[in-house]
Amino acid sequence: MSNLFVRKATGMVRSWSVFDAFIYAFFSINFVTLGFYAFSQMYYFGGGMINALIVSAVFLVFEIIVYASLISVMPRSGGDYVWMTRIFGGGIGFILAITGWWFTLWLWTPVYGDMFRQVVLVPILGVLGMQDTAVWFAGTGTPLFVSSLITLAFVSLVIFLGMKTYARIQKFSFYAGVAGLLIVIVLLFTGSPEKFKAGFESNAASIFGSQPGVYDATVTTGTDAGASTPLTGGSMNLVLVTLPWLVFFNLWPNWGATLYGEVRGATDYKRNFSGMAWALGTVTVLGIVFFLGVARTIGWDFYMQANGAWWNYYWGYVTDVPPLPVWPYPAMLASFLTNSRAVQLIIMVLMSFWWFGWAGTLFLSSTRVVFAAAFDRLLPEKVAELNDRGTPVNAMLLMVIPAAIVSYLYAYNVGGFISITLAATQAIAIMYFGTAIAAIVLPYKKKELFEASPIAQMKVFGIPLITVAGAIFAAFLGFLLVEWMFDPWLNTGGEGAGLYGISFKNTNSIIFLLVCYGLSAAIYYGFKSYRKKGGIDLDKVQAEIPVE
Amino acid sequence: MTTLFFATDVHGSDICWSKFLNAGKFYGADKLILGGDMTGKAVIPFVHQGGKNYRITLLEQVFEATNEDELADLVKRVRSRGYYPYMTDPDEIAELEKNPDRISEIFMAEVLKVVQQWMDLADKKLDGTDMKVYCSPGNDDADEVDAVIRSSRRVILVEGQVTQLDDHHEMIASGWSNHTPWDTHREENEDQLAVRYEAMTRQLKDPRNAIFNIHVPPYKSQLDEAPELDKDLRPVLAGNSMKPVGSTALRESIEKVQPLLGLHGHIHEGRGSSRIGKTLCINPGSMYEQGTLLGALVKLGKNKIENYVLTTG
Repeated sequence: MSNLFVRKATGMVRSWSVFDAFIYAFFSINFVTLGFYAFSQMYYFGGGMINALIVSAVFLVFEIIVYASLISVMPRSGGDYVWMTRIFGGGIGFILAITGWWFTLWLWTPVYGDMFRQVVLVPILGVLGMQDTAVWFAGTGTPLFVSSLITLAFVSLVIFLGMKTYARIQKFSFYAGVAGLLIVIVLLFTGSPEKFKAGFESNAASIFGSQPGVYDATVTTGTDAGASTPLTGGSMNLVLVTLPWLVFFNLWPNWGATLYGEVRGATDYKRNFSGMAWALGTVTVLGIVFFLGVARTIGWDFYMQANGAWWNYYWGYVTDVPPLPVWPYPAMLASFLTNSRAVQLIIMVLMSFWWFGWAGTLFLSSTRVVFAAAFDRLLPEKVAELNDRGTPVNAMLLMVIPAAIVSYLYAYNVGGFISITLAATQAIAIMYFGTAIAAIVLPYKKKELFEASPIAQMKVFGIPLITVAGAIFAAFLGFLLVEWMFDPWLNTGGEGAGLYGISFKNTNSIIFLLVCYGLSAAIYYGFKSYRKKGGIDLDKVQAEIPVE
Repeated sequence: MTTLFFATDVHGSDICWSKFLNAGKFYGADKLILGGDMTGKAVIPFVHQGGKNYRITLLEQVFEATNEDELADLVKRVRSRGYYPYMTDPDEIAELEKNPDRISEIFMAEVLKVVQQWMDLADKKLDGTDMKVYCSPGNDDADEVDAVIRSSRRVILVEGQVTQLDDHHEMIASGWSNHTPWDTHREENEDQLAVRYEAMTRQLKDPRNAIFNIHVPPYKSQLDEAPELDKDLRPVLAGNSMKPVGSTALRESIEKVQPLLGLHGHIHEGRGSSRIGKTLCINPGSMYEQGTLLGALVKLGKNKIENYVLTTG
């Protein structure tokens, strides 16, 4: 559209920077927090990690198309909640989005807390010479609970500061974190296996008090734990089986997508797509480079053995503390290639920004969905109130208190609660599945809206691109959901938690999901009934008014 | 008890206007109140290609019409987003590029033509009912719009006035806003806004039961959060940074008078409700370009709001 025919009017802004959009999407698929954490727990698979990264990225391109398309058709609308509500009607959108964007984030809290101590506290305290405190923080139970509470305090501080301030912190964190990662990668590509082994022996002993021979002991312990995941190779079937774990890391290029502003044309669709696609592509390439660097210097087998040694202990399959008594944080392992405490400290501090620039958004979507539900009168008005300083105290309490309770259950592994880590991804994937179905039917259920949108002409063999992408993304999510629920390990008669730990045989996982969805449904139908008694028919206020 | 329906920022969307006129019957409201910014933001040239062929560029996509049905369909699509179709030819387009003033004239003519059509439609649709529409144009609406509204029998221009809505509730109204980066039609300094509000509030007989129908939201009310822009009007940090842009004068007035209800718009992404002291402030937001009428349904009781809900129609 030529500017010749556009007048000056409120809100006629220019396009946002694709690079900025890239930064936030890149940080959402957080390579260091989500990535390192997921990779390390995937030590027992048969599919190659590089293959898995590439295959998952191919599927996730369709997720990006779906979200970029929905943003173009219905921008600024609040995301999954509104898209599903507009296309399917009230109940489904509310139940899936409230669970996905609010309740599930309670479970993410101890996971964020675990990453906080492993990425920030333990390595920095260790390098600073506070060996006992560092090793204590790496332990099970109370240390994780304390880390989760610190995480909650940090997230609350971010809500108090507001997104205007935090968005700037995030941008700074991006540059600091990338600088740290570049140093790590340089170390990985300039070191040697011999140098690493020597550095590992000396630093593990001096920083964390490991016994001499820690390298060989880690190899033995990790091998006993079943460390087997290869760097490359594996049949397509074995690669596909790794994906339900890998998406814990990279299912999130769309995390901040609904923040983007007014969409004026196809160019803005491409901007949305580009910001997310560049982020997905970059982290995928980064992952491959990182894996090759690990294989070159740390040794791929040793990396997986160290991971196996740690998680086998942490998950309670063995009781002996592993030879390296902390999580084998790859950046820390790379820093062992130097004996300079100052350089190690600089690396650890820079790398900590991957957590600080990312974790503050833990409750960002929760806040939005709580407010949206309150404005729709599906929650009491009080929950959306601000105090005199402009802080949504009540909404915060609705997130912080349950999150603290769930963190307690998780930290102390009450009833095996720690096994449901992937349920945090599962509930969001279920919500995405609803959104993908909404995307498939959008051009047909909302024909006029679609035809007057910037993506009206984007078709594949005459079928709207959003429908095609939605179908592929929904099929991918369907595969993940089936694998999670009917864990392939169980089909072979395997015992224990299975590959993912959240199958129908894990009662904790099933109870957690049922409680979340049950609570959502109770809120929805309870408030609907309550409002009706007050003279407000919530079905009607979300129904389309006749035009004629 | 009076039930009022409020919507705002429909920005030229025919669909939203029709829905708004039907909203009283649909929701069971007694009064219809339209906040400011009723006019659209863009004219789409329909360039004649000879015969019955026209070409348009809508949202950076080129569409061709080869017969009257296709042309009508394209016109409907353009109007559904609140844009104004303008039939032209390549020669006139070339001429217009040399003469920007002529474009402004075309724009104004299209704006006023559609507002007139809307007034005619309101008079027709609401004829035989007790329903009236209370309207105060916003900062994006040119002054010339007022005269067209005054010509309507069913749409009442309430800018700068105190209007008695029922036995208990008076309403003040203004579409003027504090300054925006776009230098629009009805903007002024906060001091001038304070004078404007004071001129109305001092006429109120029962300020605590009053309704403030003021286009701009109060400052730091949550209803005024808009993307922070750089000097080139680009959202900074990919739209992640939001900042309050509401009126400080309005906030002070609300804090002082403590009316029953504030009805606001202006910030399309600011949908929500919040309280300033005892005053319930509502911004229903706007999704006009999607043909969705966002609104607020409010049941007014004596000395209190009985109930309210934001609507998505």
